[in-house]
Amino acid sequence: MINLLAAAILLAQGQPDLEAPPDIAPRVVAALSQENVEIRSDFAGADIILFGAVTGLEDTDDLVIVVRGPQTDFRVMRKERTFGIWINRAPVRFADVPSYYSVASTRPLQDVGTFSSLRREGIGLEHLRLSAPDSERTEVRLGVEVTVSDVGNEIIEYREAISRNRRRDNLFAETASGVQMLEGGLFRATVALPPATPVGDYTADVYLFRDGRAVASGAVSLEVHKAGMERVIYEFAHQHGWLYGLVAVALALLFGWGAAAIFNRR
Amino acid sequence: MQIYLPIAEISVNIFLLLGLGLGVGFLSGMFGVGGGFLMTPLLFFIGIPPAVAVSTEANQIVASSASGALAHWRRRSLDIKMGLLLLLGGTAGSIAGVQLFAFLRSLGQIDLIISLSYVSFLGIVGGLMFIESLGALRRRGRDQTATQPVSKRRKRRLIDRLPFKTRFPSSGLYLSVIPPIIIGFFVGVLAAIMGVGGGFIMVPAMIYILRMPTSVVVGTSLFQILFVTALTTFLQATQNHTVDLVLALLLMVGGVIGAQLGARAGRKIKAEELRIALALMVLIVCAKLGWDLVATPNDLFAILPMREGGH
Repeated sequence: MINLLAAAILLAQGQPDLEAPPDIAPRVVAALSQENVEIRSDFAGADIILFGAVTGLEDTDDLVIVVRGPQTDFRVMRKERTFGIWINRAPVRFADVPSYYSVASTRPLQDVGTFSSLRREGIGLEHLRLSAPDSERTEVRLGVEVTVSDVGNEIIEYREAISRNRRRDNLFAETASGVQMLEGGLFRATVALPPATPVGDYTADVYLFRDGRAVASGAVSLEVHKAGMERVIYEFAHQHGWLYGLVAVALALLFGWGAAAIFNRR
Repeated sequence: MQIYLPIAEISVNIFLLLGLGLGVGFLSGMFGVGGGFLMTPLLFFIGIPPAVAVSTEANQIVASSASGALAHWRRRSLDIKMGLLLLLGGTAGSIAGVQLFAFLRSLGQIDLIISLSYVSFLGIVGGLMFIESLGALRRRGRDQTATQPVSKRRKRRLIDRLPFKTRFPSSGLYLSVIPPIIIGFFVGVLAAIMGVGGGFIMVPAMIYILRMPTSVVVGTSLFQILFVTALTTFLQATQNHTVDLVLALLLMVGGVIGAQLGARAGRKIKAEELRIALALMVLIVCAKLGWDLVATPNDLFAILPMREGGH
């Protein structure tokens, strides 16, 4: 109900532009059904509706929605067999990789935008920038700056491994028909947050593609945070670790002795 | 019904956790073992991060050893002096183990070391127990009265030549303080790295190396386990923030109920059959972990978090 109301308000705001001449730059406005996602003890993922309106929309236009979670650094290691046992080897550090990344579009991405425009904005799992700063350097070759990896061509396997791993946990996703176009330039899409959703600040960017290029965009932000008991316990554990440890031990002692006392009485 | 664990940061079925606690508690009550060596690998299998599994399991062992230790304390069936020496070594071992854990985690090798430790210890202990109880079963079948000749005179061993000897009145021993401290240290390191109490190592060590009378072995071992796991819980909570209270409480609830039921069931089964069953169970967990080490993994790449603060 609130969604519809908000959409109606957005539509009303967009109305004057629709009557303006078509050569005026198109605009995108977007909103989320929920700007705060709370992780409580019963959290098992959440579906959020992203909706909005485009002014000056043409029939051949496409919309792409990219949601990016807080950036993290991590290591990727390749397992190698040594004396019959698989051991993690050859670590490569990746920096500033979004911990959540989902793309939804009206059509398959390769039909929506050109390679260079998708690459520039980092749209699509194929174009998401996964940089390994320790093993990279920039060289000028034939007058063009290119990034060269010390790991060589194997870096591609490392990047594919990240994407594969994150998709397994539904933290990375790409849905070619995820954006629904409604009447009058309205659109909606579902952002699926899996149970493993990390906490932090998220941004959702809506891109309007025309003739293979992004001609307009709008952004909304989203915050995922722990709430209720989960938050109390988490903050207690991290801010007063020693006290938390004492409480944990005390609870365990109470539990052990209490249980013995109850069962022995019978 | 899913429950979100605040420190492990994953969502797990609440009945699965209660069931695991109940099942492992039942087995530990039946066989008189701590159950840490079963619970920690099971927690890995359901997707709890190893660091959280090991620390939280230490916390659960505090609860499961508390009642047993109290019972032995009341009956005075423990050697306090020996227990304190084991504890001294255990304290140092636990501190060293927590550091070693953090270091191995920074190298990205913690999972491997945990698995290797489990495979080797479970393999040795399970194998020895299996052979020993099978032999006992065969002897019982052949001749009820046959007893092995026990020599009263003990051979002088290396352990008897060590300095700093002292009397242990409760155990009736005159022994150097060094072996108990070393055994305690070793068990403390294991407690921190493997998330176990270490009873399955300490009890044989007390019987065969220290030659303590069996009547005080279990009480003394529980005494040491209680304090070392309490310290490990505290250190992991302070240093690594990896103790998950929600997970620990759920495991405790299932664990204490299961242990009581298991203890009742255990009285109806003969000791040798019980030991063979336990040995087989230990060997199955060992085989599963061993297979995972050598089988080609589904994904040859692993993603590991950076250490807090990075490097």
